[in-house]
This record gives sequence, C-alpha cells and structure tokens, in this order.
Amino acid sequence: MSASPGRVREDRGLALWLLPLALLCIAVFVIPVFQILRLSFSASTLMKAGKGLSLETYSRLFSSPDFLSIMLTTLIFVVASVALQVALGFAIALYLDHGRSQGYRGMLLVRTAVLAAWAIPGVVIGVVWKMLFSELDSGLVMSLVRLVAPGARPQFLSSPVPALVSSIVANVWRGTAYSMILLYAGLMTFPRELDEAAHLDGAGALRLLFRIKLPILAPLFLICILLVTVQTFNTFDMLMALTGGGPGRSTEVLALNIYKTIFTEFDLSRGGAAAMVLLLVNLGITWVYFRFLKGRAE
Amino acid sequence: MITARNLFVAVFLALASLLVAQSSVSDADFTLSWTAHPAYSLSGSDPNRVSYLKGAVAEWQKSYPKVKLEANLLSTNNTEAMAKLLEQAAQGRAPDLAQIDTYVLPRYLPYLQPLDGLIKAAGIDMKDFFPFADKIVRGKDGKVYGVQFTTDVRVLFYRKDLVTTPPKTWDDVFRVAKGLKDKGYDAFLFPAGLAEGAANTSLWGMFWGQGGELTDAGGKPVFGTGANRERMLNVLRFYKSLVDQGYTPSRVANYGNEADLNTEVAAGKVAMFLGGNFQVAQLSSIIGAEGMAKWGVARIPQKAGAKNATSAGGWSWGIFTKDPAKQKAAFDLILKAYVGTEGMGGWTSVAGYLPTRKSVYTSPSYKPDAYSELFKTILESDGRVRPPADIYPQISTEMETALSAVVSGTKTPEKALDDAWAAVSR
Repeated sequence: MSASPGRVREDRGLALWLLPLALLCIAVFVIPVFQILRLSFSASTLMKAGKGLSLETYSRLFSSPDFLSIMLTTLIFVVASVALQVALGFAIALYLDHGRSQGYRGMLLVRTAVLAAWAIPGVVIGVVWKMLFSELDSGLVMSLVRLVAPGARPQFLSSPVPALVSSIVANVWRGTAYSMILLYAGLMTFPRELDEAAHLDGAGALRLLFRIKLPILAPLFLICILLVTVQTFNTFDMLMALTGGGPGRSTEVLALNIYKTIFTEFDLSRGGAAAMVLLLVNLGITWVYFRFLKGRAE
Repeated sequence: MITARNLFVAVFLALASLLVAQSSVSDADFTLSWTAHPAYSLSGSDPNRVSYLKGAVAEWQKSYPKVKLEANLLSTNNTEAMAKLLEQAAQGRAPDLAQIDTYVLPRYLPYLQPLDGLIKAAGIDMKDFFPFADKIVRGKDGKVYGVQFTTDVRVLFYRKDLVTTPPKTWDDVFRVAKGLKDKGYDAFLFPAGLAEGAANTSLWGMFWGQGGELTDAGGKPVFGTGANRERMLNVLRFYKSLVDQGYTPSRVANYGNEADLNTEVAAGKVAMFLGGNFQVAQLSSIIGAEGMAKWGVARIPQKAGAKNATSAGGWSWGIFTKDPAKQKAAFDLILKAYVGTEGMGGWTSVAGYLPTRKSVYTSPSYKPDAYSELFKTILESDGRVRPPADIYPQISTEMETALSAVVSGTKTPEKALDDAWAAVSR
C-alpha cells in the first residue's frame, strides 16, 4: 500500500525539520565517535599521529593484566552501586509515598534533601567524602568509629578493599536520589483501589509489597536499573576527586582509566580502545532498554 | 511564524552586531592572547599575587596602549593542561603566549618561536640562568625557545625541636624515626598517591642519587631493567620498610601532591616530611611565621653511598605567535612581570618560588625567606630535571601507581615495579 501524497509531503516536511538536529548529532556525536574509533586502531599519542591501522592496541589492551583488573573493579563498583542505589531509592520512595498517603508533614523537606545529593556536582561530592573519610583523628567518620571503638584506625581510602567500599558508599549517596525519583513517580501512579482491596482481603504490608506492588512496578525497576547502570559505568568525576583511582589501581574504573590514559599518559590509541569498550557496554545496555520499551509498547 | 521580514530583521541585527564587535577589535593594533596557570594569572586567589600582576600588566600596557590583552587560563590539573595546550599547538590553535610546565617544554619545540634576539635585546645573559634552566629550553639547533621563570626544589623538612641532626642516609632515617615514633609522632611523611608530586618528590631524587636513569639518551625507558631496576627497588623497599615499621602511616597513599601533606603538618604530629620549597609559603600562611620557624630544611636522605640528588621543577613562558610585533609585546609582558631582574625578583618573592637567574638572588627586588640561600645551594649542586622524553608521562603515572600500591600493601615492591615496567614497555 502506497502512502498518500499528503502523507509523503508531511514526512518530507518533518525530515526537513529534523535535519538540523541530525546534522548536530553527526557533528557532535557521530564524527567524534568515528575519530575515537580510528584512533583506537592507530598508534597515536597526543604528540604523534599514528600511521596505518592495526588491531595491536586492542590486542595489548585485552592481554593487559591491568585492564582485566580494571574491568573487575568496574564490575564490582557498578553491581554494588546499582543494587544499593535501587534498593535504597525504593526504600526512600516507599517512605515518602507512605508519608504522603498519611499526610505527614516534612515530606517535601525529605524529598529536597535527597534530591540535593543528586544536584551536587560529582567532583564536589568526591571532595566532601574525601574529607568525611579523612584518616586523621579529625575525620568525621573516623571520629564516629572511634566513639564506638576507641583503638580502631580504619583505613577508609588507603587500603584497597576499604577504598573500594568507601567509593561505593559515596556513589550510592550520590545516585540514590535518581532511583528514588523514578520509583516514587511509579508509586504515585499506583492505583489506591488495589491498596484498599488488598487491605480488605487481609494482606499485610509485606505481602502487599512483594505480591502486588513489586510485580506491578517491575518494568519501572528494569528501566531504573538500566539507566542507573549506564550512569554508574560512566562515573569518573567523583572517583577522580575521592581516590584518583588509588591506592594502586584498586578504585580505577574504566571511565577513570580512559581519562588517565589520555590526559596523563597522552596515549590516544589505548584510551580510544578503552573508550570503545565503554561505548559498547553502554550501547548494549541501551539496546536492552529500547528492546524492553518496544516490547512494552507492542 | 517565520516570515521573510522577520528573517531579514534577524540577519540585519546579526550583521550589525558583528560589525560592532569587529570595530571594537579594530580599535586595538592587535589582540595578544596570553594563557597562564590560574595561580600565575590575574585571576588567582592570592590577593598579593594578583595585586603584583595587575601593577606589572598596567605598566606594560603603558608601552602598548593599543594592544588588547586577552587573558586565558590553563586547567589547574597541570598534566591535563599541558596535554590540551599541546593539542592546541599541534592544531595551530595555540595562544600567542603560554605558560608551560618546564619539563615538558621540549615537546613544544616544533611549535615555539626562538627568543634569542628578544633575550639579547633585553640584556639578559642565558649564562645567568641555572644550568638546568638553560639546557631545558634549548632546541637541537641551540636556540632558546622558552624562558624558565620560576623553579622549585624537593627537600626534607624536619622539626628542629624534635630532630637535632637531620638524617642524611636511609639508615639515619630509621634511627631517628624510631625515637620519634616512641614519642607518638608520625616520623616521616612523603607524597605517595596518584599525582606527579609523588614521583617527583618521593621517587626520582633517591633513584637518581644511586645513579639511576629513567630513560636512555634516545628517550627509551630503562628504569625497570638491569642496575636501574635494583636502584628503583631499593627506593620502593625503603618506603615499604617505613610503613611496615610504623614510621609512616599508610594514608600517605592518598597524598599525590606535596601540598596534600600540609594538613597533617599543621596538625602538629609530623616530625619530618619530603616536600617542595613552595610549601614554605603555603605552610607559613597556615601555621604562621612562628610555627614555620620550628621547621628546618635539609637535603633528601639518600641510600648510604649514594650522591645527593633532587628534582627541580618550575614553569616557563613560551611564545607561539610568528608575528614579530606580537612576539615583542609578549616578551615585554613576561619581562616586566616575571623574567626581568625586577620582574623575576618581584614575582618569586610575592609567590614564594625560587628565581632561575642567579643574579636575581642578590637583587634588591628579591625578598628571600629564611631558607632561600639553602634552597639555592641545593638547586645548584643537586638539582636535576625530569627527562623530556615522550614516554615520561607514562613512566611517571605507572611509578606513582607502583608507589601507591607498595605503601598501601597492595603489591610487593618487586611486583609493583615489574607491573609498571611491563605497562611502560608495552
């Protein structure tokens, strides 16, 4: 079946309107991505443009023990951060929703306080948490720990495992608000009749949560997890300020590694190759996201 | 709705504003673009520095009333700033005049303009500069492509009320540190985090003192092979022993730059630390002149039998523009504010750096602090600059990571060094 002449004209008009946006996308996204892709197959540094193209950079990247340890660190950081952010975000969203339904005062204040963490730039969050995790006696968290255990001298940032845990804590503090907003929006659209019907049927709060609310909100959870995962994979500013990736490489995630490779080692090809890996990870998650949305729409 | 009339008005207004902007530019002979580190610029946070620079720029502007000075800033992350400036230079977008971290200046040589004529016309003798400051700015053709206007030096700071004789060797360090630890002090601190300060202050001086070399004459890395490997291992093992024996807290793995130690020093529990001369000014502003008077300065302790060595850093000015008129204006600006006898004396005094010209130390314009003479002596006898090899940033990054890993107990010195060597060799 062929489209009517009016429809064709309308489509052409729309295409014309979209042209500036398409050109902008090509200029600021497609061309830079191809440039990075080209660099990743060359042997370029900031000082010298590489000649010819080869797979050598990728071969060196994937055979490097550092890269494998960075990927493992990234995986731990992302999985722990996403799980905690979504869980805590949902807990706060439930609390806010409950407060709203009961007409508690101060809910706006709580929402604003949680959102403030999301609005603060990552670098500032890194600096603030670095001060909180100071290993001097004057450090806030150190003071709290020593109230409970006077002889303790925890190494929040100078020992590999605690440094990774501290980084996850700071990232969860930063990112929980985003999950909270998404899930709170879902809870607000939750039909109250279902709530009341469940109560009349004698369902307790836990049963209501696990048998009714969670299944209904499951699609929203999936969207939330996908979006938060992409954000967490790209985390770099906060870690740069908090640990710089150290001690050693114990908190060096992939995005931070790309930055350091390009801007402190001047290695454009290796940085480009690592950036392509990160891009593929993000594209994979985005593909799942759109597949899911398409499936829902159909 | 977009009509032909609206479109005409919009185009007319855009052209008119362009013409207005163009006419304001054409009032000046030319625009001189000047890019500096924020702390060395009119936008710095130190009012004394800014006041000094405003005065110097105003003086310069009297000679160039029709030149418009366009001041831009580098990022405060030096490595990143230098990388971006290099990229600009390679693409032909470099500013007319820019501040360059001296040890990377050789990488800018293809884009910088020779300054010999301007230097000679200003009556400056290159022999007046410390040898390292003269050597680093020269190209293969022997011409001068930059002017190093500040320098700094890495030293041992020690509390005079706690340490009667500063340690000269690592054995001395352990001996002195034991008594200090028993008294409850953090005996010996040093930057061991992930920044250039850790490599430059904590590693290179001790490595060079043993005769170690980071790269060969051709710029290829050699720090991880043969005798150099053993020398670097000695340094890493020394630091590991300090941490293992409780003389150094492992939290130094979080301190990438020398200034990161200032908070600890101000808290009063530190007895000795490795740092840079510029910390005198920083610490004086934190703990006051009285607190600073407790601190003495000595050479970096070395392995028994090794020579004295330390890393000398500092900043240079480079001129990228090929326009002779702009070159002259740019050079006169740095002459007035940073490079001439009065300029260098004034700037280094107000900012707490060391002059690179020997004659400036005896100039009335230079106001030395209590340590300046000793810093000058150490610079002259022990000062050495980092190799200008293309591979240096990677060596530095990998060795910072290695030191941080050793101090935090993540890796043994052998494993950390071998990993760093493997990463650089790849």
